[in-house]
Amino acid sequence: MLNVQNSSHDPFYNQAFEEFVFQTFQEDDIFFLWQNSPAVVVGSYQNICREVHVETLWKLGIPVVRRISGGGTVYHDLGNVNYTYIIQQDGPVDYDRCLQPVIGALNAIGVPARKGRTCDIAIGEQKISGSAQRIAGGRILHHGTLLFQSDLRMLEHITTHHKNDCFQSRGTISAICPVTNIRDHLTTPMTITEFQTRLLNQMVPAGNHRLTLTAEQEAAVCLLRDEKYRSWEWTWGKTPAFTYEKSGVFAGAPIHLTYRANRGIVSDAVIDCASVDGSEATRLLNGTRLDPEGFAAICRRLSGSRAEELMDWLL
Amino acid sequence: MEKKLTMPKLRPEMEKGVLCAWLKEEGDVVTTGEALFEIETDKVVNQIEATESGILKKQLCEEGDTVDVESPVAILETE
Repeated sequence: MLNVQNSSHDPFYNQAFEEFVFQTFQEDDIFFLWQNSPAVVVGSYQNICREVHVETLWKLGIPVVRRISGGGTVYHDLGNVNYTYIIQQDGPVDYDRCLQPVIGALNAIGVPARKGRTCDIAIGEQKISGSAQRIAGGRILHHGTLLFQSDLRMLEHITTHHKNDCFQSRGTISAICPVTNIRDHLTTPMTITEFQTRLLNQMVPAGNHRLTLTAEQEAAVCLLRDEKYRSWEWTWGKTPAFTYEKSGVFAGAPIHLTYRANRGIVSDAVIDCASVDGSEATRLLNGTRLDPEGFAAICRRLSGSRAEELMDWLL
Repeated sequence: MEKKLTMPKLRPEMEKGVLCAWLKEEGDVVTTGEALFEIETDKVVNQIEATESGILKKQLCEEGDTVDVESPVAILETE
């Protein structure tokens, strides 16, 4: 088992790091831990706007990052520890092959963890870890969260409130589960740093290789971060095609709003409302990118002081 | 020779999968081992690679389609 150390907290860098390691170290089984500063991480095939309230995140300064594995939306912060476990594919997809070693390691360091539903690890009935996989080139990349001392109120605020049902699309929809922090279930207390050291020592015992990337490899990770993970094409352009429809009252007048987006490009936009210039709305929206900043600019042009309110109707 | 590529069964309990991305377009030359499309089932995105070389003649479903296991998703023209 090989360990590749990653001390970065940059969520874009960390996704690139993981993909780079997956593609580069093809001969070994790999295990490593990593942490993100506050970020929302969505599955490869999810509609971000359906899963989270983009404007809320924007105001909180929390970025959204798309990952290469399946599954749903998760909130990360520095109270959460992520693990990545890469092994050879050997027969059919089997979550337990990846989950059991991690559960065993958790038990060995005093965490009363057990397998939850499908791909989760739980303490009692509450989830402490969700995971997802990507399989390519005969290898499995399995990664998961481990809630140690996360801000669960923020997690809940971001991932369970504001689910937007105005989207008709076929992307993956997140499951909502009760969660708990590992720290609250320890008989002998430990810090998050001790937790990481002990878990890593269990999974990658002394005698195994522990390495850090060379300067050249790190430059390759940074390139991947900038060209893929920070790009609009990856984060928003990968949104599954959808139709959006919402109606109600805006600025004292009934409003009915529809548009479609395919590969992140808006079409067929109609805003039917006495308080908004409909033909200007159609002109500005059609052909534009699905992008919160671009949408906000359009709302400012259409509605000036009520731009924020109009934005809530649009996304 | 025309060969049908089907939705693979990745787990014994898998009944359907979502074809979430085409990585080759119609008319593209495909060589053994190259990635053809991605499917998602449960929490897994699985990149499906070609087991033989040829030309991707027809995509039988669109990105986002849910397809039954073992149903055809594409036609590969092989030598």
